[in-house]
Amino acid sequence: MTAVVDVGRVAPGRHTILRRTLRSRTGVIGAALVGLVVLAALASLLGVLPHDAVTQVPAQRLRGPSGEHWFGTDQFGRDVFARAAGGAASSLLVAVVAVAIATAVGTAAGVVAGFFGGWSSRVVLGVTNVLFAFPPLLLALALASAFDRTWLTVAAAIATVYTPIFVRVARGPVLALREAEFVQAATVLGFSPLRTLARHVLPNIAPILIVQVTLSLSWAVLTEASLSFLGLGTPPPAPSLGAMVLEARVLVNVAWWSMAAPGVVIVALVVGLNLLGDGLRDALDPRGGGNS
Amino acid sequence: MWRRPGTTLGTLAVAAAVLVTACSGAGSGGGAPGGSAGGGLVVGATSDPDTLFPWKATQFQAVNVVEQLYSTLTELDPALEVVPGLAESWQVAPDGKAVTLTLRKGVTFADGSAFDSADVKSSLERIKAEATGAVARASLASVTGVDAPDASTVVLRLSGPDAGILAALASVNLAMLSSDDAEQALTAKPNGTGAFTFVERRPNESIKLAANPTFWGGAPKLPTLEFRVIPDETSIVSALQAGSVQFAAFDDPLVAQSAEGSGITVAKTPQLSYHALQLNARKAPLDNLDVRLAIQCAIDRQQVLDTAALGEGEVTGPITSPAYRSDPAARPCPQRDVAAARRHLEAAGHGGGLTISTIVSQGEYATSVNEATNIQAQLAEAGITLNLEVLESGAFVDRWVAADFQSAVALNGGRPDPDGMYGRYFTSTGNLNKVAGYSSPELDQLFAEGKALADPAARKAVYARLSQELERNAAWVWLFTSFTYTATTSGVTGFTPMPNASLKFLRTTAVGGS
Amino acid sequence: MILRGTLGHPLVRRLLEALFTLAGVAVLVFVMLRAIPGDQITATLGTEAAALTPAQRAALETYYGLDQPLVVQFWTWLGSVLTGNLGASERSGRSVLEMTANSLPITLELAVLSLVVGLVLGVGAAMLSASRPDSARDAAGQAVALAGLSVPAFLLGSALLAVAARFLGYNPNAEQFAPLVADPALNLQQMLMPALVLGFGLAAPIMRTARSALLETRTLDFVRTARGKGVPPRRLQVRHVLRGALVPILTMTGLQFGYLLGGAVVVEQIFSVPGIGRQVLIGIQQKEYAVVQSTVLVIAVTFVLVNLATDLLYRVVDPRVRAT
Repeated sequence: MTAVVDVGRVAPGRHTILRRTLRSRTGVIGAALVGLVVLAALASLLGVLPHDAVTQVPAQRLRGPSGEHWFGTDQFGRDVFARAAGGAASSLLVAVVAVAIATAVGTAAGVVAGFFGGWSSRVVLGVTNVLFAFPPLLLALALASAFDRTWLTVAAAIATVYTPIFVRVARGPVLALREAEFVQAATVLGFSPLRTLARHVLPNIAPILIVQVTLSLSWAVLTEASLSFLGLGTPPPAPSLGAMVLEARVLVNVAWWSMAAPGVVIVALVVGLNLLGDGLRDALDPRGGGNS
Repeated sequence: MWRRPGTTLGTLAVAAAVLVTACSGAGSGGGAPGGSAGGGLVVGATSDPDTLFPWKATQFQAVNVVEQLYSTLTELDPALEVVPGLAESWQVAPDGKAVTLTLRKGVTFADGSAFDSADVKSSLERIKAEATGAVARASLASVTGVDAPDASTVVLRLSGPDAGILAALASVNLAMLSSDDAEQALTAKPNGTGAFTFVERRPNESIKLAANPTFWGGAPKLPTLEFRVIPDETSIVSALQAGSVQFAAFDDPLVAQSAEGSGITVAKTPQLSYHALQLNARKAPLDNLDVRLAIQCAIDRQQVLDTAALGEGEVTGPITSPAYRSDPAARPCPQRDVAAARRHLEAAGHGGGLTISTIVSQGEYATSVNEATNIQAQLAEAGITLNLEVLESGAFVDRWVAADFQSAVALNGGRPDPDGMYGRYFTSTGNLNKVAGYSSPELDQLFAEGKALADPAARKAVYARLSQELERNAAWVWLFTSFTYTATTSGVTGFTPMPNASLKFLRTTAVGGS
Repeated sequence: MILRGTLGHPLVRRLLEALFTLAGVAVLVFVMLRAIPGDQITATLGTEAAALTPAQRAALETYYGLDQPLVVQFWTWLGSVLTGNLGASERSGRSVLEMTANSLPITLELAVLSLVVGLVLGVGAAMLSASRPDSARDAAGQAVALAGLSVPAFLLGSALLAVAARFLGYNPNAEQFAPLVADPALNLQQMLMPALVLGFGLAAPIMRTARSALLETRTLDFVRTARGKGVPPRRLQVRHVLRGALVPILTMTGLQFGYLLGGAVVVEQIFSVPGIGRQVLIGIQQKEYAVVQSTVLVIAVTFVLVNLATDLLYRVVDPRVRAT
């Protein structure tokens, strides 16, 4: 499942990673797709789009795509492009924050469990197993409905689902690293465990984490959209891609664009993130070199 | 080798699947597998009833099933006039302190046992007992005792005249149960005196009923009636188009529009239920009349209706029942008046602007969030910032029940009698007064007057005053009423929709032809 | 010492671990449900719950068992679950066992059909890709996997349903759900679209695993030998390469199967399939604590069992694992 990284090796520098990623075709396409969606999302956040996402203009409802409304209008005469862009913004916000939380918590727990072993390991793995055995979407769903719903609680709910993955991803290589000579040496020399972790362990698991973060972002975008589709995602009236698809279901016969637009944005974003993740993996994989 | 047979098989499966429906579709008309031969009706519903126990059924899907299985002492006709039910006639004492009901003879429950005055007495007493947890207990507040002098006579002793009691008795929440039946047993196997009897329930899938040939109102024409759970409204529409479902009620105008045509008839019926912005006048700053009036004046109701509900509905005042309908123009600022709104804000000492919050339920009904957004936009133009708290329906109900809100965007159920509809909200002793957030001696007086009067014309005048009193004080901001849409396939006849969304006339419905 | 020896046995350790996990799931689902606003009273009565007098409210709490302290509620539930009583739905009066006996086979059937779709698509695409790495074929195969990974089930499902209903007038899922034994023809039609949607999503991880496994196997000695002996390429692909790559594919498939049980909620909802995911979803909406708690536990048990089985299968199939 997870790529095995040659742990003895020190990770390539940041510029090298970027260059290598951009050298692979998938990486470029991925970066371009993600960049496009991020651009639209930023434009929506900065309010530089010709229409805003919330204003209802009943006189112009259900218009097809045109120069005026690039993705047409919905049943309330709202601009679908503006809503899709706004939806992308909130999707990305939720996804980024969720993955950030999951990465921080999951990596910390995984590193601790892997490096120190013993009870800490047993507790962390126990909790991880429980979270894995709980149906993920149902977990997010229950968490999202348990608290006052804001984008932050939605992000926290999604983070809870993805934390165990980071625990596993981090723990495996750390287990191996613990036995590696240079780490053992650091311990023998009497360096504090924290220093050893920061100086020797973390840099070595960074590449695999970066790949995992990119892939998790794509899952988080999908999860947020699925939650919204079930009516439990980012609360309205803020636009949300999943909720747009849900609303479009009764409209799709008369206004195909109402479903197509949010659909295309979700797919573009997720495809982009996946390709970017692949590109990064290729760039970081010491065996693969640059192109595969 | 691996791929090719796979693909062919896949294609074949699709082709075969399409063929099979094409064949079965041709002879449709309610031919549910293993079900009735033609003539039965399948109703599409988006959710499974949450209870089949009549005294606790409040959800529409539940009421729609329960009212087929049970009957009530009085009933409402399509114009919401009170007509005989299990009681074939009644007599109100001259002092108004007793109602004598004469029961129909020969009525039996589904299990064959006879219905008589002992069942009425036991039902009403159990509803009044707090341990039962019946939702309509308060409707019987004026009933001090129930006597059953003989098997077909029941006397309700009242604390004072109660003009609304006969209409109240028509609620399915006051349905008559056998004195032998307890709630637990009825949840699994309903036993009533309704037009249909319970056959089978598959949780989250369907509820099947059969005609009660000895129904007191005449045997229904449909031999079987099935409520089929199809969680997705678009699927209900395509089921109607395919003919596997013949009847459905929608409240979303968009869904109704998508169903129209291709042999499906859609009838729209104005509803008693009303959309309102509830203001909690017990919470600052809404305890200030000028603040409430500012909100009232800043909202163009027609615009809310147009943007949120595609104009499908009617701007309304408090009372929505046709016989007592409030004049929506009889209110401060019948037209939107932003300048007046600002003057009121100024008078309230909030000339510099004001922020209030509102709770909005998501998923409960189609238009809630869009109403809230539009109101938010309109209030902003008058210098009032409205913060939306969009809540999942469970959380919304919790906050609403606890009156834990400054304002609430709500769709509340209406009742035919104004006293039954608002007495519980706006009298100081009403059991929903905490939620209503407003009461006054004037209102208490008007409610008491209306309740004591028997003459409809005189009552109408009292309730017109009451309605104005509510609007003048901007107790709430009443917005609009909407429609329900009854979609039927071509062979379905004899159904009359009701303004309270009742499906009781399924008992006179027939599926002909095809 | 014997005890120690037994506890040390990997299988026993796995079992203990599984029990611990299930206990954790039980606590988690219990706590989480009660954290969700509203209870069964407000879920049933809606806003009418505001009209209840305090005495009525108390009576209803007793009726639904909400008046007991949480700890008591938990042990009562767990105790009855351990004796095989999963509780009952207050709404329909049906026991959770009965409901689950209805819904679990439906979801299992859906999961199996989806896996078939996923395997056919995924392994097919993988073989296409691996047959000539870095070619147009490979790109096509990878594109299938990428699409499966990126198109959310709710979008594909909604679109499929809309297109089929609109242009073909075909929507078997609007019929009453037909159990497999009662009406196999209709049942398979109703399962077709949901299985396609889920299977498409599954194809992605299966394809990726299969592709790298296939590429790896091709370089192994026995395949080289077979090729050297002049085994025809197609036969070589199926008989030797595919068989050699079977272990990782199986592992991946087992993992996915576990996730499908709870993960099919969205698809079950769109296509009106009365499976176990929907049972939980509706239970959450209706605050039917017993239904949700017991059903989630059933899902977790199945998940743990499937993982255990995959693990064992892995040991049986792959001699290298057995040796260690």
